[in-house]
Amino acid sequence: MKAGYKQVKRMTGMMRSIHFVNIISMIVAVITGLYIADPYYQAFIAEDAVDKYVMAWNRWGHFIVAIIFDVTSIIVAYLFFFSRFEKPYKKVIPTKRNIVEFFEVLLNLLTLNRRKKFDSTHSDSFNTVYFAIFHLLLAWMLFTGLQLYVHVFPHGDSSIGAWWPWMLHLVTDWTLVVSSWMVGTTATGANIMDVRISHHLTMWLLLVWVAFHIYYQIWRTIFWKEGDIAIAVGGSKFIKEDKA
Amino acid sequence: MADRIEGVKKLFTSKSARVETNRGDAHYEKLFQLCQARIEELKTQTPSRNRLDIDDLLKDQGINRRDFMKWASAVTGMLMLPASFTPLVADAALLMNRAPVIWIELSDCAGNTEAMLRSDGPKIDEILLDIISLEFNETIMAASGHQAEAQLEDAMHTFKDKYLLFVEGAIPMGMNGQFGTIGAHGETFYDHLMRISKHAAAIVAVGSCATFGGVPAASPNPTGAVGVMDVVKGKPLINIPACPANPANMVGVIIHYILTGQVPELDSLLRPKFAFGYRIHDNCERRAHFDAGEFVEEWGDEGAKNNFCLYKVGCKGPMTFNNCSIVRYNEGVNWPVGVGRGCIGCSEPDFWDKYAYERPMADANIKAPTGGVEKTVDEFGLGLLTAAGIGIGIHAAASILAGKKEDGGEA
Ligand code: HEM
Ligand code: SF4
Repeated sequence: MKAGYKQVKRMTGMMRSIHFVNIISMIVAVITGLYIADPYYQAFIAEDAVDKYVMAWNRWGHFIVAIIFDVTSIIVAYLFFFSRFEKPYKKVIPTKRNIVEFFEVLLNLLTLNRRKKFDSTHSDSFNTVYFAIFHLLLAWMLFTGLQLYVHVFPHGDSSIGAWWPWMLHLVTDWTLVVSSWMVGTTATGANIMDVRISHHLTMWLLLVWVAFHIYYQIWRTIFWKEGDIAIAVGGSKFIKEDKA
Repeated sequence: MADRIEGVKKLFTSKSARVETNRGDAHYEKLFQLCQARIEELKTQTPSRNRLDIDDLLKDQGINRRDFMKWASAVTGMLMLPASFTPLVADAALLMNRAPVIWIELSDCAGNTEAMLRSDGPKIDEILLDIISLEFNETIMAASGHQAEAQLEDAMHTFKDKYLLFVEGAIPMGMNGQFGTIGAHGETFYDHLMRISKHAAAIVAVGSCATFGGVPAASPNPTGAVGVMDVVKGKPLINIPACPANPANMVGVIIHYILTGQVPELDSLLRPKFAFGYRIHDNCERRAHFDAGEFVEEWGDEGAKNNFCLYKVGCKGPMTFNNCSIVRYNEGVNWPVGVGRGCIGCSEPDFWDKYAYERPMADANIKAPTGGVEKTVDEFGLGLLTAAGIGIGIHAAASILAGKKEDGGEA
């Protein structure tokens, strides 16, 4: 460690694992999702259907990462409120202090680091809000995705019991109404296509989110010189002694 | 806006297509007794006016008792009732003429009437629709003009609070409903519907126009067309969408009504779950090709000759709830996917704008949520991503030009 710098722990091992599981899941979800949307490569025509199963494997992959996302999201939601490490929800509540901090961080970005009037030791309000947005988008993906999925159980039963489709209906049926509200309609009544349109569009919002996320973390690392990028890998960053 | 708020209110109360196929012995025993009592009672009533005799009709068409019972057991299955109900269903079918039906047409193409008539070799479903006591139907009755109006009045009066009202076609609400009027008095479709629905026992909206506005309501919906459920409130209402509605489902609903005196279990769009509780994709004969990733890429290509899946030429089976992949049309002769063209989702709200574009949704121009220019979701999303990329690029370039903050240098 460089002299005069102090190491601060920012992400626990659990948080970092989730981070990388999410990255991989996201990549798989996008690749398979786009295939499901509009199959962009062809199966080998000459082979028998039983040997190919291309769409089925894509859907399988999509649903597996979906379930992984489900589980990590539940853990993240739990940590959001109850983490013994850092309780992120404290940073998204619009208190005066958080709002000031939020805009200070934004100003820091816009003034190209000419102004830096906040404590960058711990996760700041701007970053926390930004992550909260990610998790809301992801939650929307989960709910719409599970709504698209639940209709494969019209009989109300599944390999793991009747509770599963029952629960999926209970927690995702509202996405029909919200999606049709978002997509807009001339007829009365919601249809599953609206959910699908919304599911697809939200993928793009997530990709936009990812683009800025990566840029911003690199930018911070270069301009703040506090090794922020290492947070996701080693779990800590470094802060000048006099600041910390 | 108001309807959107209303929509959000319904958020957590929305019922969807969850079908309960087995409700337990106790339930069915009770239902059986109820149906039996009802059938006995109906048998004592005289058929209203239709003098056609079902036995003669079936015989004329060369359908024997055995075929009829086979049909009855299929309908029992379709209605998701246990096999023990088959004799009751057969009885109910023979009593179809006890249900007086008034059938009106609004903004429509008479396609549902056509489907019901099926001039080409009628099978049992269509024959049964011949013997329902159709008291009034503009397309097929002999009377016209004032005579027809008088007949309608008469039927409404005679069967007050007892008739089933079948509605075909959307209701144009624009310009005070003046886009569609009927009869010598120029009564608007809206007034016509309201007047006749007032004393109906139940209303059955048949076809996509009567249910969700259908083609007349397609964007930009110049006539302000809406479906029956938007204007008629406080009446039992059953939606049988599709373009045209399948006669099998019309018969199913009527039989269910005769049998139980109730409307069948409905989903959030008021469609009977026995017919609309599942997606056509899950019972499609081309499904194996879907899973295999074998798609028709172009009309008439090698895949098309091999009956490959039609997903890439726009089949919307995965997003469409209907039973056509099982019951098909014209008594099981064929159905759209069977003849080699994709499903256009005709039993879903907004199908013309959101389903019927003959390519996968991702590849079709739909209205962006913000309205305005029509784009594919991917063009829209890629646009967003590009905008974000440009923003990032500008910021990065500015950062490099401006250099790092002085005190941020090496310590
Ligand atoms: C970052 C996460 C995700 C991304 C980027 C993503 C992307 C996509 C895309 C692009 C489609 C195609 C939509 C279309 O145009 O037709 C799709 C379909 C679908 N997704 Fe996702 N998705 C994600 C998460 C999920 C989750 C969590 C689930 C939950 C089960 C899910 C379930 C589905 C289902 C069921 C379909 C439709 C598949 C079918 O009908 O065969 N997705 N997804
Ligand atoms: S043809 Fe349509 S309904 Fe049939 S498997 Fe393909 S996508 Fe599904």
